[in-house]
Amino acid sequence: MADRLVVAIGTRKGVFVADAAKTRRSFTLRGPFGPGVPVYSTLIDARATPRVYASSCNPFFGMKVLCSKDLGKSFQETKSAPAFPKDDGRALANIWSLEAGDGKKELWCGVEPAALFRSRDGGDTWEMVPGISNHEHARKWQPGAGGLCLHTIVRDGARVHLAISTGGHYLSEDRGETFRASNKGVGAGFAPDPYPEFGQCVHKIVRHDAAPGRLYMQNHGGWADWTGPGGPRPNIGVLRSDDHGRSWRSIAAGLPTDFGFPIVVHPRDADTVFVLPLEPATRTCPGGAPAVWRSENGGDSWSRLARGLPKKETYFTVQRDAMTMDRLSTPALYFGTTTGQLWIGRDGGEQFDCLFDSLPPIHNVKVAVV
Amino acid sequence: MVTAPTVTIHLPGPLRAYSGGVTRLETAARTVKAALEDLERNRSALYRNLCDETGALRRHLNVFVNSNNIRDLQGVDTILAAGDVLTFLPAVSGG
Repeated sequence: MADRLVVAIGTRKGVFVADAAKTRRSFTLRGPFGPGVPVYSTLIDARATPRVYASSCNPFFGMKVLCSKDLGKSFQETKSAPAFPKDDGRALANIWSLEAGDGKKELWCGVEPAALFRSRDGGDTWEMVPGISNHEHARKWQPGAGGLCLHTIVRDGARVHLAISTGGHYLSEDRGETFRASNKGVGAGFAPDPYPEFGQCVHKIVRHDAAPGRLYMQNHGGWADWTGPGGPRPNIGVLRSDDHGRSWRSIAAGLPTDFGFPIVVHPRDADTVFVLPLEPATRTCPGGAPAVWRSENGGDSWSRLARGLPKKETYFTVQRDAMTMDRLSTPALYFGTTTGQLWIGRDGGEQFDCLFDSLPPIHNVKVAVV
Repeated sequence: MVTAPTVTIHLPGPLRAYSGGVTRLETAARTVKAALEDLERNRSALYRNLCDETGALRRHLNVFVNSNNIRDLQGVDTILAAGDVLTFLPAVSGG
């Protein structure tokens, strides 16, 4: 079978799967699977026979992990979902992140309340990763508006970067055995100390294989006008690290606002990075006119990409995992909105088209060629 | 000799997948808590849908003994008698 472009779309009402030929002319939609149940994370795992995973966060009957072995034509539950040890005292409230680990079957899973789990058998059994789940800071983290969640897992050889809202950035350099808070330069707007050791509300972290040590972060910005203790905190929202996340510096200058949720790096160019700025108060598009902003020089300057997007009266939010990019020769950008639209930004975001206009509110979008 | 009561457990349709395809079970448990412990021992997949890993009933699940919500009785310590019907139902919610 010719390679297909597969898009997994996690929504408030289940997971959808769209696919298309590599020309991306037209997409076919299937779903919803796990109907009526929110899906906050998906993973298209192409390490062996492709699998599509989705977390299914059932408010009545608890968390499930769904798996499709036929590219999204059907989904079945894995044999178990992550669960805290019975004597731990915490109960799983949501699954926020599913990522591929080592080998062909290892999976990592970030959950709410903030903790990390690992499966070595494709999601049938899970073990809690104690180095972060039982970290000395863990009982001091506070929930953000979305809950106290470990939502981002970035693996880089022996290094593992985690983002926790609100816990901040945690770094392991021993494959996840131990973690330390690594937030030098990462600001917080909701604490008197503008640069605490931990407790920041990091929204997303990404890296690129071609730029060892470099990371980009979308942090919880929007604090330029704060006049209370600690003073204003402009431009703490979009950051970059060049030392494997040990320290961070702002790259937010030039953006209309430093608040946002997703951040995406171009698969073929580590200097090209995308954000989708939002008004800090409403978390919607500035002025009702949505736009993706792109830097082609690692964050030194930014340009606005909005061709094909509505020019006014548009007030959606794009959540932290709802923007991504495919890896075709001329990559396209994708983002899903809380108003249920899935947009494609062809030619790296130069021209936007709406692929699906009326899906349920979209939590996350993943894409892969399989 | 005291005979253990026979109590009927009614499950909502979505839980059929975890109960061997049935929506009705029987238990000889004398309290709601004992009925849950019985399920934990013998039908663990079903139990995980009803209780979280701390053993607490899931927040958005209502449990009735006959027509009374156990919140208005003695919670999981509510005593069961022969012929009682123990019903698990997801809470009404919208959106």
